[in-house]
Amino acid sequence: MKTWLSVARYQLTDRNVFVIQPWVVLALDFLIILVIVAQYPGRHGQAVYVGALAGIYVVLIVTGALSIARQLPFALALGVSRRSFYAGTALLALAVAAVYGLELTVLQLIERGTGGWGLNLHFFRVPYLLAGPWYLSWLTSFVGLALMLAWGMWFGIVYRRWNLAGLLSFIAVQVLAVVAVLLIIGGAHAWHGVSRFFTTLTIGGLTGLLALLTVALLAGGYATVRRLTV
Amino acid sequence: MTPAISAAGLTRRYRGQLALDHVSLDIEPGSITGLLGRNGAGKTTFMRIVAGHEFASAGRVTVLGASPVENETVLRQMVFVREDQSYPDLRVRQVVQAASWFYPNWSHDLADALLGEFNLPLNRKVKKLSRGMRSAVGNVIGLAARAEVTLFDEPYAGLDPVSRQLFYDRLLAEYAEHPRTVLLSTHLIDEAAGLFERVVVIDRGRIVLNTAADDLRGAATSVSGPAIAVAEFTAGRPVWDRRRIASQESAVVAGTLDETDRARAAALHLHLEPLTLQQVVVQVAGAPAASPQERTSA
Repeated sequence: MKTWLSVARYQLTDRNVFVIQPWVVLALDFLIILVIVAQYPGRHGQAVYVGALAGIYVVLIVTGALSIARQLPFALALGVSRRSFYAGTALLALAVAAVYGLELTVLQLIERGTGGWGLNLHFFRVPYLLAGPWYLSWLTSFVGLALMLAWGMWFGIVYRRWNLAGLLSFIAVQVLAVVAVLLIIGGAHAWHGVSRFFTTLTIGGLTGLLALLTVALLAGGYATVRRLTV
Repeated sequence: MTPAISAAGLTRRYRGQLALDHVSLDIEPGSITGLLGRNGAGKTTFMRIVAGHEFASAGRVTVLGASPVENETVLRQMVFVREDQSYPDLRVRQVVQAASWFYPNWSHDLADALLGEFNLPLNRKVKKLSRGMRSAVGNVIGLAARAEVTLFDEPYAGLDPVSRQLFYDRLLAEYAEHPRTVLLSTHLIDEAAGLFERVVVIDRGRIVLNTAADDLRGAATSVSGPAIAVAEFTAGRPVWDRRRIASQESAVVAGTLDETDRARAAALHLHLEPLTLQQVVVQVAGAPAASPQERTSA
């Protein structure tokens, strides 16, 4: 456990990866949207919806990948086991997701309180996904951010273990898996059932599904890191 | 006594290549061992497996009596300074600080002193350092960790002579004050020869020599002079190497020479010169694969 905390501390030594990059990207993302919406506001003060909050989610995939690809070899040289390195990094990822989720929730509250930054802008409020009470927004953000970090970590491990060719194959496998699922649904004429499932799914239920997916990604990363060599 | 490092039948196969071929080796605790051999001989692979960075294809390795693979208790007592270490995007100060969190016996005083002596710029990114300076960062970590098992793989690649001398002096002083097991690979053999208590020579994945360093001094002698005299002197002795220019010949004779031998050489007007450690290693590891039986006579 002590080693896990040291690993988390080691990960935070390079502030760029976990702290600066995600928030700089989000800040720029937000400012650009704000400037555009200020120039071209919604007609008759209508609400403006943008999907730009996705920016921080995408960045966290990169964060997760870098946390492994850049930091792992030196940690192993310092006598950290793969298990401890992964556990410490995953622990940090969960903590970071919880804190950043809370920050996004606070920004959402401010957005609500200021009438969408005076422009009726919906940046931190996303219909269906981040539209409920604050604690539910926090939970969904937390799970969503953790999912991205866990996914990115797995990418980082695959890259460290099998280099670029492995990384590309890994991406290809994921794309093929998605295509296969779509084909199977189509082949079984199950689209109706699938769409009914998703329309009746509450945001709490969706968050639960995403949490399960996060756990699966973390397990996949762990299985891959165990035989990694440097 | 449990060996600090013990390998038995250790084999590592890569696609179509045998990096380690049934290596069996015990390294006693509290010793400095030189791991010598040519490029690609298997030195780094051996150290990587000992450090748990790489997995063996066959055989086993134990460190302080237990397998090092994912074994936190063992890993906490081991430091591995690699020539090809890739560092995160951190400054020298941060890298050394991070290292201190993982070693129970870490000496901050020693780390600070070494950083000063090696003239390392604390606020520069490690990635921006020259090769020699990067080696120095590794050496600071390797020494200050005071880990029971300390592995140095080419610790002074690119280091200037002053820094190398500093490293030898510091290593010996540290070793005297805080004994530990040091395994060090290098190509600068004669320079480091004074450090070694044992010498292990590895060639094409096999151990070809494993002996006390003292036994190697004088283990082979170069005999030179008139070809006829050399032929007479070397008759019936194991000869590693023979070079002839016109009527002059020089031969490397294995085995120690006694007083009678020396007197006889003097009478034949032959010049005797003991081989240095480096020359011995060149003879042992540099011999073509076709003549292994001669090398085993060492």
